[in-house]
Amino acid sequence: MVLADESELRSTDERGLADEGSVSEGPRPYVARSLWLSSEALGLTAKIDVVEGSEDGSVIPIEYKRGKAPEVPEGAYLPERAQLGAQVLLLREHGYICNAADIYFAGSKKRISIGIDDTLLTTVRDAVRRVRVLCSRTELPPPLEDSPKCDGCSLIGICLPDETNLLRKERSRADDAAPSALRRLHPARDDRLPLYVTEPGARIGVDGSELVVRGKEQTTRARLPNTSHVSLFGNVQISTQALRRLMEQGISVTFLSSGGWFYGRAEGIGSNNVDLRMAQHRAAADPATCLQLARAFVEAKIRNSRTMLRRNHDGIAQSVLFELEQLARKAAESERIESLLGLEGTAARVYFGAFSGMLRGEAARTFDLDGRNRRPPKDPVNALLSLAYATLARELTVALGNAGLDPLLGFYHRPRFGRPALALDMMEELRPVIADSVVLTALNTGVVGESDFLRHPVGVSLTPAARKRLLLAHERRMDQIVTHPVFGYQVSWRRMLEVQARLLGRFLLGEIPTYPQLRPR
Amino acid sequence: MRQAFIVTYDVRDPKRLRRVYRVLRGYGRHLQLSVFQCELDARERVELMAKLRKAVHHDEDQVLFVDIGPADGRGATSIESIGVAYVPEERRAIIV
Repeated sequence: MVLADESELRSTDERGLADEGSVSEGPRPYVARSLWLSSEALGLTAKIDVVEGSEDGSVIPIEYKRGKAPEVPEGAYLPERAQLGAQVLLLREHGYICNAADIYFAGSKKRISIGIDDTLLTTVRDAVRRVRVLCSRTELPPPLEDSPKCDGCSLIGICLPDETNLLRKERSRADDAAPSALRRLHPARDDRLPLYVTEPGARIGVDGSELVVRGKEQTTRARLPNTSHVSLFGNVQISTQALRRLMEQGISVTFLSSGGWFYGRAEGIGSNNVDLRMAQHRAAADPATCLQLARAFVEAKIRNSRTMLRRNHDGIAQSVLFELEQLARKAAESERIESLLGLEGTAARVYFGAFSGMLRGEAARTFDLDGRNRRPPKDPVNALLSLAYATLARELTVALGNAGLDPLLGFYHRPRFGRPALALDMMEELRPVIADSVVLTALNTGVVGESDFLRHPVGVSLTPAARKRLLLAHERRMDQIVTHPVFGYQVSWRRMLEVQARLLGRFLLGEIPTYPQLRPR
Repeated sequence: MRQAFIVTYDVRDPKRLRRVYRVLRGYGRHLQLSVFQCELDARERVELMAKLRKAVHHDEDQVLFVDIGPADGRGATSIESIGVAYVPEERRAIIV
């Protein structure tokens, strides 16, 4: 059932059925509302809307439904009748005489009697047993195939039925129109937005359902239902009340240095899938799976950097593209993780050697990049890249955590204290298309210019204002709608990260044969 | 997906007034005195209504929901102003 319906039902409950579980003292007939009954023998618990007792000592459960009465001979569809059947079983278990049940359809203002017979009660007992079996299994049941029930289901973005089924059949796929048959992911644009606090000394509190950020000069408010996550840069204070509310709402909070170095995150207990974590740990202990994933990550990274050069570099030498192509092929066939590291390094040198060719106009004259360097970055482009990578790593850590994976346990990057190795793994293929692209756009459109950099003897850093502008540029990129290269529908980059994280989970659980690389054309 | 609403209220007691105001702050933008503009999905609408139902006195106060259309369609273009300009709220990340 859609959540909205449930809350609406709850609110009808609150108005109409206020006297909970009470039985009126007077003589029969009597009426009890919101009667809560459980039975361990049946394995059922139910809150019955209304129970009506009659003079001869028998009772009738009545279920309130918001909709209209359906035009079927039985008076209601099977799920509703089964619900009443379960209520009848419970009432009998507790010693009541109960041989009838009614449903009140508020939509058509009709009370309909439901026939209670042994077939219905057997169906209910059967269903209870099947649910018990399903709950005790450790792996998830496969997603439904092409079921109309999936449309409008609030879990479609987590379950990804069409995507999983498509990838399962990948081998037999003859590259026909299969992707176009995919249903569009409903929350194609995640409309909740992140809150970044970079101002030193700002204090975050909570007021009603708003976060209040008190800075030196101004106070900013962010609505909690509108917030996707909160990033705290440097010396920012957050109150316990605010932190608790954020955990309650399932909004993760990340802590970073003022320069964007990622320290960690706080999250509520949530409802993480333990079996998925166990599958992840098993996979990380298996060298063959590690190698398979590492290959996929490195190959996609090299191909994506090639794509970046092809798109944005006017006079790119064919030899560079060819070399990257060769390296990508070698990576896909590499037999050892160590040799992948070598291939990745070579590809990075080739790519960053040509990087300055992607800078245009003003930017190309003022900046020049002599390969990648960091801690601290020694030139402006590297300073921008460092912040963009840290931001992306944070974004992925949150996405992986939300998908129920452990961001610290990687397959290609080895685990090291405090390093989100899995986020770094997943990030490889996205570095060129997200982070590098943000930096290029920022430089080429003049969002950051020469005056935004502070040059120290040891390196270059960004002014606070420029840091904010780069974060904004990153957010714009994440909001951009792109076509998914495998599934063919349009999603924002933000959503794409989540889809990738969930698909990695599917791979680890053995539901799909390969991890689908993210390679935009 | 999201629907835009103008929510106006008339509350006859200062304590309840503050309560209603605080509830609404979490769901929308305070446009004028006793007027909010909210963009709500189905679930948020029900949540907000349930919270307001608890906050107001049902015989004395009134809250009106005016549906002005889809948030990225009519809801975004249907407001005109006289006097101080109406500036639509931009949906973007908040960076402090």
